[in-house]
Amino acid sequence: MSTRISPPPTAGPGSAAAFFAGTTFDARPARACHGLVRRMPEGLTADRIAERLAAAQESGALPADLRLWVEDVATAAADPASEALRVREASRATRHDGRLRAVLLSYADGVVDLVLVAHRRAADSAGLDLVGRILAGAADDTERLTLPGDLPRHTAADAAPPAWGMGDPRRTGVTGAVRIGPVAIAPQSAAPVLLAATALLLARYADRDRTVGLLAVDRADRDRFAAVDLPVDDGTPLVDLVRHAENALASAAPVSADRPVPAVGIVVLSEQDEGYRPFLELPFPVTFTWDPRRDGTHVGRLDYDEAALHPEAAEQLARHVGRLTALVGAKPDDAFGDRTPVSGDVELMTDEERAALLDLGRPQPAPLRPATTVHAAFARRAAERPGATALSDATRELTYAQLDEAATRMSAALAERGAGPGTFVGVCMDRDTDLVVTLLAVLKTGAAYVPMDPRYPVERLRYTTEDAGLRLVVTTLDEFPAADGVTAVHPGALTGSTAATPAPADDPDAPAYVIYTSGSTGKPKGVVVPHRNVGALMAATTEDMRLGPDDVWTLFHSSSFDFSVWEIWGCLLTGGHLVVVPYWVSRSPEEFHALLVQRRVTVLSQTPSAFASLRDVHLNQQQSLALRLVVFGGEPLDVRSLELWFRREPHDRCRLVNMFGITETTVHVTTSTVTPVEVAAGSRSVGTALPGWTLSVRDARGRVQPLGVPGEIYVGGAGVADRYLNRPELTAERFVDDRLTGERAYRSGDLGRLRPGGRLDHLGRIDDQVKVRGFRIELGEIRSVLLDDPTVSAGAVVLNQGDGDAAGVRLDAYVVLRPSGSVAEVRRRLREVLPEHMVPATLTAVPGIPLTVNGKVDRAKLPEPDQLPAAEAATGAAPAAEEGAPAQEGLADVVLRAWRATLGPEVGPDDDFFDLGGNSLLAVRLSAALRREGLQSVPLRDLYLQPTAARLAEHLTARQAAEAGTGRP
Amino acid sequence: MRLSQKTALVTGAARGLGRACALRFAEEGADLVLLDVAADIADVPYPLGTPDQLEATARLCRERGASVLAARADVRQQKDVDAVVADALDRFGRIDVLVNNAGIAAPSGKAVHEITEDEWGVMLDVDLSGAWRTIKAVVPSMAKQRSGSIVNISSTAGLVGYRYFAGYVAAKHGLIGLTRAAALDYAALQIRVNALCPGQVREEPTLEGRMLSEVARSLGVAPEDQETAFLESQPMNALVNPEDVSSAALWLASDDARQVTGSVVTVDGGFSTR
Repeated sequence: MSTRISPPPTAGPGSAAAFFAGTTFDARPARACHGLVRRMPEGLTADRIAERLAAAQESGALPADLRLWVEDVATAAADPASEALRVREASRATRHDGRLRAVLLSYADGVVDLVLVAHRRAADSAGLDLVGRILAGAADDTERLTLPGDLPRHTAADAAPPAWGMGDPRRTGVTGAVRIGPVAIAPQSAAPVLLAATALLLARYADRDRTVGLLAVDRADRDRFAAVDLPVDDGTPLVDLVRHAENALASAAPVSADRPVPAVGIVVLSEQDEGYRPFLELPFPVTFTWDPRRDGTHVGRLDYDEAALHPEAAEQLARHVGRLTALVGAKPDDAFGDRTPVSGDVELMTDEERAALLDLGRPQPAPLRPATTVHAAFARRAAERPGATALSDATRELTYAQLDEAATRMSAALAERGAGPGTFVGVCMDRDTDLVVTLLAVLKTGAAYVPMDPRYPVERLRYTTEDAGLRLVVTTLDEFPAADGVTAVHPGALTGSTAATPAPADDPDAPAYVIYTSGSTGKPKGVVVPHRNVGALMAATTEDMRLGPDDVWTLFHSSSFDFSVWEIWGCLLTGGHLVVVPYWVSRSPEEFHALLVQRRVTVLSQTPSAFASLRDVHLNQQQSLALRLVVFGGEPLDVRSLELWFRREPHDRCRLVNMFGITETTVHVTTSTVTPVEVAAGSRSVGTALPGWTLSVRDARGRVQPLGVPGEIYVGGAGVADRYLNRPELTAERFVDDRLTGERAYRSGDLGRLRPGGRLDHLGRIDDQVKVRGFRIELGEIRSVLLDDPTVSAGAVVLNQGDGDAAGVRLDAYVVLRPSGSVAEVRRRLREVLPEHMVPATLTAVPGIPLTVNGKVDRAKLPEPDQLPAAEAATGAAPAAEEGAPAQEGLADVVLRAWRATLGPEVGPDDDFFDLGGNSLLAVRLSAALRREGLQSVPLRDLYLQPTAARLAEHLTARQAAEAGTGRP
Repeated sequence: MRLSQKTALVTGAARGLGRACALRFAEEGADLVLLDVAADIADVPYPLGTPDQLEATARLCRERGASVLAARADVRQQKDVDAVVADALDRFGRIDVLVNNAGIAAPSGKAVHEITEDEWGVMLDVDLSGAWRTIKAVVPSMAKQRSGSIVNISSTAGLVGYRYFAGYVAAKHGLIGLTRAAALDYAALQIRVNALCPGQVREEPTLEGRMLSEVARSLGVAPEDQETAFLESQPMNALVNPEDVSSAALWLASDDARQVTGSVVTVDGGFSTR
């Protein structure tokens, strides 16, 4: 550690500058020191010992500059005050130039202790022992204290603390200790065994930094202070480990000041010595010290800095190291029979430990509620408060009784057209009250609904219809893709049925809905979720979130995104009022904010990136919100983005809950209330499992990972979906019977780590599935569409995190074109097949896709993407207006400048906003840029309708003219 | 224990306020380096501390659980001071706290034009330059530690004038100036420098201090009359006790005062606010 000091202004030859520049900060002098306490033989007085010293200096046995300090102690040797003094003396580092210090503690009862402390450069452990023997009169006349040679200064900074340690940087300097063992190790092989066990542990903990620090104290040989790299992976045979460790020890590099001190290290003592202190301060942030005992076993001790290890992680680490040391120290065949075991075979945990971790992921029992169907639960709410408002949009308002009746009527019409238990009914409608009526109506028939966003490309709609085997689709689209045997019906045609009301089917295990998500096979896959899961979700949240009839919710999200399941049924099954947010309003933070104010919305569900825009609007307005609960979902939340929000909206008035969830586990899995405390700590936790849900973190073999160690998140319990529709193999692969818990579990493919208390950190996707603006996208799916293009011979799609803010995240695609191909044509075809959020922002032609040795795309070798598609379209486009001539600057130039400020300097007047990678967040920014240019507010709808700078400028000119004509300002 | 694991060097430690600070620090867990001239000085017209008094302070500190290095040195000699600091670093490895307490009250009792060259010289050499020399000696090691607290015992005479005490007043004013300048010089190295200004301190027999007696003698009055005179000018109507001063020194020495540097702390019952 070093601190930069601002030098004094006189930087010349003056001594001040030299002093400030030349004073190095030696933060840890005690780290390089060791000590020894020896009780002197009875009757040996301090004076007598001083004479011995003088004689030894005379003979050259001890250096002439060694001083003996005598401390008269006011208490007897056994007094606790004396003990405190002894410990203090033995832990006191020597001054920075590395001397040997000898202090005699002369107690009131005549007992004398010699306390030696030395920098390792002044004496090694054998040297300390010798000084003690000479002064006690127990040394051979021929023995001489020799300097251990030029050990390097131990002043390097520490390596970064291990991620699995879950330490708290605010606890730097606070230390803890845990005992380990005893463990049987043959003494002559102790160092390689301990090193092998430690390296094995780091490998199993998936630590990126596998360097092990070593402080080997050997009275017979020289003490060594080294950093050892011992490569271990899951396939390393255990029989080779100790031999590899011996080789690594032989070539270990000394710890030096220009290399970080390893975060994890071991101190190996060659013999038991109660008076010896191998270090006065932890030589490594995580230090294992192993003491040999007379019975041939070793006793270990883990000393750690709480900045590097959480105390619970330390307890766990001590257990695992003890177990691995015993295993490596034993003959391998003792533990594994006739197999040749490899490192990955080693079980870190006992059954009890594993059970405790599984319990951590199951923090609360499932609430006891009878399983029910969604529509039966709704019917109960409707019967309780028939006159209460259930549903509204800008033009219509329905009470619970009206909604129930409308849905019942429509369900009869649907049943007439074949909907019923065991069937799937497509629903492809924009968000309005009819959508909700239709979804409820489908459920009332006993069928499951399959929502489709009407904005999806025709190809995607056709695919979903065919994949789900739909026979009936309720849609407001006039041009719903025709397919054999599929009836597309307008909801308006389903209201007038006079047929008898069918008896509502009531099977909680029946599917309620099928939602399509991105698939790693390149095709979206339908997730079949039964009714009972939705009931379980409400049972898990209603009480904690105090959801009830006074709440006003929004339906903000597309029905094809399962966040809408939470919005719709979370509201209607708890008696609340659901306000449907039209598509255009959901795209405009200003309009949406106005809606929240006007409709007194109390419960809001948002993706973090959408919320960020809403927050900015809110902070610039005076109007107050009625919000009492915000639920985040759909993508990772960076809690720091909430700091400004909390200044305006205290957390005890409006609660913010971050929820991690997966479609396959019924919307949510975990819940975490975010307060300013979490914001200040920059917490990445997504919280604990919902009551009834369970989670655990597993390695590639399905074994439970230790606390803090990353692995795949398995989700079990009440939320696990039935299956992937018509995908038995994929279903078998992802929905597994968990042999450890005996329950069904979903393998999420998400990376996470479990923290003490059962809180989960979400660390991203294991494969390349990514989230862009809340949409879960499998890069492989886009790539497979790319490869479907006959002019493309190879392709790759990568996620570009931009400068780290949510709007900057984008997809970059690379293609190898056949001679006939063109980037523009490929892009056009992509847009035909993929939803807008899946179309890559850039598309770049390359001669070949670079691969790593493992055959994966080598992202680092891909070129910078072609700036934006403007570059390829520019040939025919008019050159951009030159700078200058402000007097002649017209509206078109002003508009173009705002576009370039938002989307990049190459943008031409005819470039399409969406082709340029435009999205809703960039649209908000563009709108703001236009306002900064002094233009009137441009409604977002105009941007969507006039998607080029030139067309928007025309539109604005026309509007100005119209306003001038009508005399409006 | 507010000074555990810390080593404090106190000058003028044989008796009086120096002893009071040393004992207080020992009670708070510090190890101590006790420095005193432990001899009389020419031109100083009263007996100074003795080797026995210095040893007594050391014994009292040990009884409070401290390890002690006691050394005789004259703060007018840089090499003497340097040697003690070198020994202290050998013995304890570090010096965390320096209390510049060594000081003389006399020769005084004269108007400015009556003071001789030698009288002026010895007063400034001990009371002002002595502190400068110990700071020079300890700062290099404190700089390596990136920590340290220096407490300069000035006086209300560093804030206001006293008749017939020009040398003392000038030295104690100078010590406040030294404090402020040093605070700026070393702030970046995390070394704090503060001044402490006691008012007239009551003489406590166990501490064997001589300050009040010597001030009275210089003015030609009885110590009791000097006490009375001071009490009348003291808003809180009581003399300052030695432990009042050592408490303030302890606070400045400890990490409780981690953001305090360049400050002048008065412990004078409100005397200097008049």
